[in-house]
Amino acid sequence: MSLGAAEVISKTRNASVGGDKPPLIDIRNLRVTFPSGGAEPKAVLKGIDLAVQPGEIVGLVGESGAGKTTLARSILGLPPSPGRIAGGEVHFEGRQILSLSESELRRLRGHRLSVVVPNPRAELNPLLKVGDQIAAMAKIHLGVGGKEARRMALEILREVQIPDPERRMDAYPHELSGGMAQRVVIAMALICSPAFVISDDATSGLDVTVQAQILALLAKLAADHGSAMLFISRDVGITAHFCDRIAVLFSGEIVEIAPREPLFLEPAHPYTLMLLAAFSHSPKLRDSWSVPDTGRRRERNAGCQYADRCPIAQPVCRTQRPPFAEIGPGHFVRCYFPVRHA
Amino acid sequence: MSAVLTIDNLYKRFPIAGSKQVVQAINGVSLTVEPGETLGLVGESGSGKTTVGRCIVGLIEPTAGTIRFRGTDLAQRQQHKAKLAGKIQLVFQEPNESLDPRMKIGDTISEPLLPLKLDRETRRRRTADALRLVRLNPDLLDAYPSELSSGQQQRVGIARAMVTEPELVVLDEPTSALDPTARAEIIDLLRRIQNERNTAYLFISHDLSTVRFISHRVAVMYLGMIVEQGSAETVFNRPQHPYSSGLLSSVMLPHPHLKIESSVSLKGEIPSPINLPKGCFLASRCPFVIDRCRHEMPPAETVGERHTVHCFRHEDVAASVPASDTFNVFMKEAERILGRAGPIGVAPSLQ
Ligand SMILES: Nc1ncnc2c1ncn2[C@@H]1O[C@H](COP(=O)(O)OP(=O)(O)OP(=O)(O)O)[C@@H](O)[C@H]1O
Ligand SMILES: Nc1ncnc2c1ncn2[C@@H]1O[C@H](COP(=O)(O)OP(=O)(O)OP(=O)(O)O)[C@@H](O)[C@H]1O
Ligand code: SF4
Ligand code: SF4
Ligand SMILES: [Mg+2]
Ligand SMILES: [Mg+2]
Repeated sequence: MSLGAAEVISKTRNASVGGDKPPLIDIRNLRVTFPSGGAEPKAVLKGIDLAVQPGEIVGLVGESGAGKTTLARSILGLPPSPGRIAGGEVHFEGRQILSLSESELRRLRGHRLSVVVPNPRAELNPLLKVGDQIAAMAKIHLGVGGKEARRMALEILREVQIPDPERRMDAYPHELSGGMAQRVVIAMALICSPAFVISDDATSGLDVTVQAQILALLAKLAADHGSAMLFISRDVGITAHFCDRIAVLFSGEIVEIAPREPLFLEPAHPYTLMLLAAFSHSPKLRDSWSVPDTGRRRERNAGCQYADRCPIAQPVCRTQRPPFAEIGPGHFVRCYFPVRHA
Repeated sequence: MSAVLTIDNLYKRFPIAGSKQVVQAINGVSLTVEPGETLGLVGESGSGKTTVGRCIVGLIEPTAGTIRFRGTDLAQRQQHKAKLAGKIQLVFQEPNESLDPRMKIGDTISEPLLPLKLDRETRRRRTADALRLVRLNPDLLDAYPSELSSGQQQRVGIARAMVTEPELVVLDEPTSALDPTARAEIIDLLRRIQNERNTAYLFISHDLSTVRFISHRVAVMYLGMIVEQGSAETVFNRPQHPYSSGLLSSVMLPHPHLKIESSVSLKGEIPSPINLPKGCFLASRCPFVIDRCRHEMPPAETVGERHTVHCFRHEDVAASVPASDTFNVFMKEAERILGRAGPIGVAPSLQ
């Protein structure tokens, strides 16, 4: 391919960093593959570039199977098995995470970098009191004593607004509602004040009322601790109110990334328009941004990954991967024919 | 009585094993659904929505109260078996849970017809009809559920419910496991089927935006009670119960400038239905609470046409924020942003 990869990456760099300061975390050309039946492994992340500033909340949206969880886990050096990191770098606090040893990675995870996943019950040990589980994180990573760890656990439970935190310290996971268990998992992720938090669809199973409270909390904690967050969600609506920038992932590629307002008010990639049209409740809008399902969709190697589903695809789209071009300040789109707004 | 479904003062208690206590899941629910009407049932997790649905379809027995289907008391379901067969159907949240993985799609769809004792030709025609209604490719009749996407699986779930030509379908979060596009397609489908067959729906969902769009009327549930019930437009544009208003305030539309204004932000979670508080159930979370609320249960008050509210201060609640039609404003915005005549291409450039 003749696309100057380095040039594209350096462009991405400037804009996907949303500012002049050095980014807190800098993901460069991250590629992940899964073994497939055939000779070629299946590419699941096809060169992700994403940099996040301190204090910034970046949303990541995309349909089921787009690669969101794969990205979340690969950033921590733990691609879902049997996936493997096929290339790329993740720079964080002066180190390249993907070149660290297993034990160095373990020290980083849960301490400087942490991830909150859905299904909190699977994350908690059913036999241990939640207070002890939270305190254990501080003991392991910060080396504090038992008493201090418990004091910190109680404080973080208060911060995540668990009702009656003193009593909840001694509760077992099964005694908690789903919303409370999710708060406990968030408390565990935050007790060491990590610099970077990844939330992987962690609130989507909760009531909107509880979601709103937890999101406000995560945002406040990020602001208070100067930490940054990658907020993965299938609920696009939440990101419109809660994230500074939003990246749209399609088939293992970021097809569009922009600050919140241009992304929702001037979306440019046909896939983003299709996604937003799905929320509009207008069949007419949806029809104008989708093509009838011919069942012919397949993995593409050359050209635009979205070509089979794109209502405005042209012959050129099928031959070469479109460039990741800046169409407005910090607004990048991987498309030959981005939609322009007056 | 023209209503398809009439529920009168329904109660449901669940005993707790090894304890004298009971779960008071439903505490006096009354509602009606007319032919061809969609009643949206909303409320936080644990408010009792599924329990109401399960009582209607007969999966569980109510503790007290009556449920009538076209005037027939469903407590006598057994006596009226022939008349009721296939008339009330249920669609679940997780499409693959209701589908037998070893059964071909075609057999899954036609299975509910077996008890109706129809001749083979009618069965075949009804199955084909159901398939057409949900726009599934007839090639899929021989497929197994695992070969289908979750959107297609949910179409099968709906076809299976529609095949008996029901007059009432209880849809318990039919779209919450789906991607946005599949969800939108299912919603379109349900509306089209309703237009064609005049089917009544009880549509249970957490997604208020979808409920606003699909429902004619809406019932807001809290701790086993319907605290407000009315036309979707009235309840969403000017809620009169603090709980309705609080639920609406947590809706996040995919537009950075559109937020539903409300004087209520709900803190904490729904209390346990084991020891119900005295007085109004919302008192512990309600910013409008007054002394009276803590010892007296507010009665149902009719505040408009088929619009009832259980709150002493509903007038103050209604006056606390100006009426607004945020969902329609959002739809207009979406048309403005997404509805351009056609995408304007720029010359391909590789720089
Ligand atoms: N064990 C595996 N073997 C092969 N491919 C896999 C495996 N696990 C995941 N994949 C592929 O990786 C892709 C990305 O999966 P991933 O779980 O990251 O998606 P996601 O965006 O998190 O989806 P969701 O919204 O459903 O959580 C999927 O399309 C799937 O094909
Ligand atoms: N079989 C049962 N035994 C005991 N308690 C039950 C049973 N079924 C439901 N409950 C309780 O009844 C209450 C209402 O539950 P229900 O499932 O109807 O709520 P819901 O509104 O459908 O919630 P969700 O939104 O989570 O689906 C809950 O407190 C629940 O724990
Ligand atoms: S590059 Fe072509 S096929 Fe791909 S999204 Fe743009 S217009 Fe559609
Ligand atoms: S009756 Fe009182 S506590 Fe209940 S909702 Fe109305 S104001 Fe709030
Ligand atoms: Mg995932
Ligand atoms: Mg339910």
